[in-house]
Amino acid sequence: MGIFTRFFRNNRDILKDRHMSEPSGDKEVPTTKKLTENVKYILDAFHQTNDLKIRVLKKGDATLLYLESLAEHEKIHEKIFAPIEMGHTDDVFQLPNAKHTHDLEEAVRTILRGHALYLEEGKREIAQFSVTSSFSRTPEEPQNEKVVRGAHDGFVENMMTNINLIRKRVEHRDLTIKYFKLGRKTNTNVAVMYMDGIADPTLVQEVETRLHSVDSDMIHSPGHVEEFIEDQSNSPFPQMLNTERPDRVAANIVEGRVAIMSEGSPTTLIAPATFFMFYQAPDDYNMRWFTGTFVRLIRLFSFVIAVSLPAFYIAVVSFHYEVIPDELIIPVKASINEIAYPPILEALVMVIIIELIREAGIRLPQPIGQTIGIVGGLVIGDAVVRAGLVSNLMVIVVALTAIASFVVPSNELSTALRLLTFPLILLAGTIGFIGIVFGMLFILIHLTRLHSFGVPYFAPLAPLSLVDLKDTFVRLPMYMMKLRPKDAHAIKPIALDPSREWRNRDEQKQSKQGGDQTSTTNKPKE
Amino acid sequence: MSRRQFFFIIIQTQIGVGVLSVPYELHTVAKQDGWISLLLGAIAIQLLLIGIWVVAKNLPQDTLYTMNDKLYTKWIGRPLSILYILYFIGVGTLIILLFCRMINVWVLPNTPIWVTALLMITVCMYMVHGGLLVLGRMYTMLSILIVFLLILMVFGAKEMQIMYLFPILESGWGKVFSGINQAIFSYFGFIVTLVVYSKVEGTNKQKLTTIVLAHWFVTLFYLFTVLASYTFFSTSELPLVPEPVLYMLKSFSLPIIARIDLFFITIWVINVATSFATYLYLSSIGFSDLFKKQSTTKFIVLIGVVVFSISMFIGMDIKKMEAFNNVVTYSGYVFSVTLPLIMVPLSFWRRNKDKGAGTS
Repeated sequence: MGIFTRFFRNNRDILKDRHMSEPSGDKEVPTTKKLTENVKYILDAFHQTNDLKIRVLKKGDATLLYLESLAEHEKIHEKIFAPIEMGHTDDVFQLPNAKHTHDLEEAVRTILRGHALYLEEGKREIAQFSVTSSFSRTPEEPQNEKVVRGAHDGFVENMMTNINLIRKRVEHRDLTIKYFKLGRKTNTNVAVMYMDGIADPTLVQEVETRLHSVDSDMIHSPGHVEEFIEDQSNSPFPQMLNTERPDRVAANIVEGRVAIMSEGSPTTLIAPATFFMFYQAPDDYNMRWFTGTFVRLIRLFSFVIAVSLPAFYIAVVSFHYEVIPDELIIPVKASINEIAYPPILEALVMVIIIELIREAGIRLPQPIGQTIGIVGGLVIGDAVVRAGLVSNLMVIVVALTAIASFVVPSNELSTALRLLTFPLILLAGTIGFIGIVFGMLFILIHLTRLHSFGVPYFAPLAPLSLVDLKDTFVRLPMYMMKLRPKDAHAIKPIALDPSREWRNRDEQKQSKQGGDQTSTTNKPKE
Repeated sequence: MSRRQFFFIIIQTQIGVGVLSVPYELHTVAKQDGWISLLLGAIAIQLLLIGIWVVAKNLPQDTLYTMNDKLYTKWIGRPLSILYILYFIGVGTLIILLFCRMINVWVLPNTPIWVTALLMITVCMYMVHGGLLVLGRMYTMLSILIVFLLILMVFGAKEMQIMYLFPILESGWGKVFSGINQAIFSYFGFIVTLVVYSKVEGTNKQKLTTIVLAHWFVTLFYLFTVLASYTFFSTSELPLVPEPVLYMLKSFSLPIIARIDLFFITIWVINVATSFATYLYLSSIGFSDLFKKQSTTKFIVLIGVVVFSISMFIGMDIKKMEAFNNVVTYSGYVFSVTLPLIMVPLSFWRRNKDKGAGTS
């Protein structure tokens, strides 16, 4: 029957190979029957590059082509020669792991992906074998996002490993992954990951359109992609969350957000992001909720310190001396009196010195980096005060600010904060408290106006959403987070159903057993 | 826009420059009975708000400016809208002037006023440029600061002397009623209701509840301010202190902060900014309604420049300022009280006409 339907109705869907999205729309170049012409075409396509290896087989009637630098000899042997030697088949085209094509352009593309091509004289077919060699490190914990408790693995430079890490964590059929090829010259694989049925389809659509419209020669990292697809480039605030932690990505995907990965970089982008997401660390969710809340409050407080402490200090010492209580006036005045420069200059110098030390230490090997830290921090800090260039109070203020800015779990935001200190210092140095107020107001307006993929950036504060404050300033116990955060725009809002019914049941039992004595205290709350 | 945002837009518009001077101004007229005037004024405004609500209910799709067109026909409506815009610009300028003077007196005696004025105007221009939604979100977020203001004022309660309020009605009802005049000034700003009403979600009844709640919140806030200053300063002291709240706070000191009044004024700056931003928004939306343009950017910049130039022209000149203040406050009666009242019957006429047109 099957043969009849196939012949007469021609309605059988032919199953095709699926692999990473091919750049469609390219012209097709059919193969010829002449081996030399085919080989010449491919050689020309690669501009006679020297690492394109040609192995002549069957006394010149067949040939194997591959990029020596991409292919692995072991795999070539294992996939092509071993089966033939074992006598399974004589014809290379019959090997099950061969993929066939008649298109030379496609052949060129597959060579670039690390395939070996097998061509034969008198045959139009080309057999392709995947023999890519890949080097990847083990998924170690990322240096910049360490946690005390919790998973200690991290993304690597190989995208397949990364996706594997996510799939292992989210074992559900709704986890959808879409591949894109970005960069006309680099042909970088980019993957978009989301939970179908939770993530807002318009959001996914928006991410895809924005990715599609990227038309650049080179895409080398998510940071690169970020600048192409973010909403507002003229802003110090990062509008997509960067992370190298699989657990964080998995959690965000299940919350209804979209993750963007790219080949060759361990960093994953998460969109849409809100300001407060940058203050949530994976650690918070492994602690008891009391400690989690406390740590989070400390972190948010550090935002205020990092942005405004130097400004506040300058405003006080240069404009509003009367704010300092009587007992403090003498020590403060004593430390400032001897200094030749106005406080604003002191502050700017100190903040810049700290930035210098940080920037110098960051790329040096660790032993030297530590030396720089000691020389810069201790020696300069001490000497500068003794020399009478900067007051010791200012050193304290600036050091505190630097520490506070490093408390933020996200590196991008911490840089943004340190950048914001400068305008505030200037404003405070010119018009005191009023300047700080206007500076802060400006920052708040900016945050309120920002959007990340259609989601207000400063949610849940502006627009205010009281329910979502449960995971913003505080971290309530996990079983109380019944609804997904609104700012993720999830189409399925309920994240968990009542999960602690056993407690009710226990209480009921207790009150029954306890009878009259305890019934008043242990009444189930219904 | 949600009703919560609507609520906060109303209160943030009304609570503004006035907070510092209301107790003093009420006192000049009604002595220690100023708070009664304030309450009577609140009741009067309450009635007016119901009138405004009726107008907005009858024309549910319109802002103030398109209402003018519909109610008074094009030929009277357009000039009226322009006058409204001018009035809003005037109020905005007045706010800037009072703000600059206050800053000049209390915080920065040596800073030229153009610096503070320019900062205020640019920041508000940036805020208004974001549109009504951004305004609503900002105001909601910033309203937490009103709580701080209240907490700061509670410090005064330690040395409260209820006796200062007695004898009640010493100066007679006549004075109390003329105090209403002063009281109503501090409530101006409710006209914002008429402009944004159509953009708020919810049924008419819910919106009315929001309006009434907002009004009484503002009333209670002012009442608290006035009572705090009247119980701290006696009737004979008050004429000497034009900003009683600040003088009151100045006398207290905390272990870490010696001068609370400076913090009060710093937070107050934000309340002034929100009031000014609303007027900027009202006039810019007026222009865009008038010229049927979607983008308000140009108008916002234009209004900003105009406000800045007028306030520079008037400057710190007390006489000019007094005159300007009088013009603006009295035209407030025309634009915020009289015209909305005239609109009430007209709106019924218009609704009936629309209904008639709809059914036939």
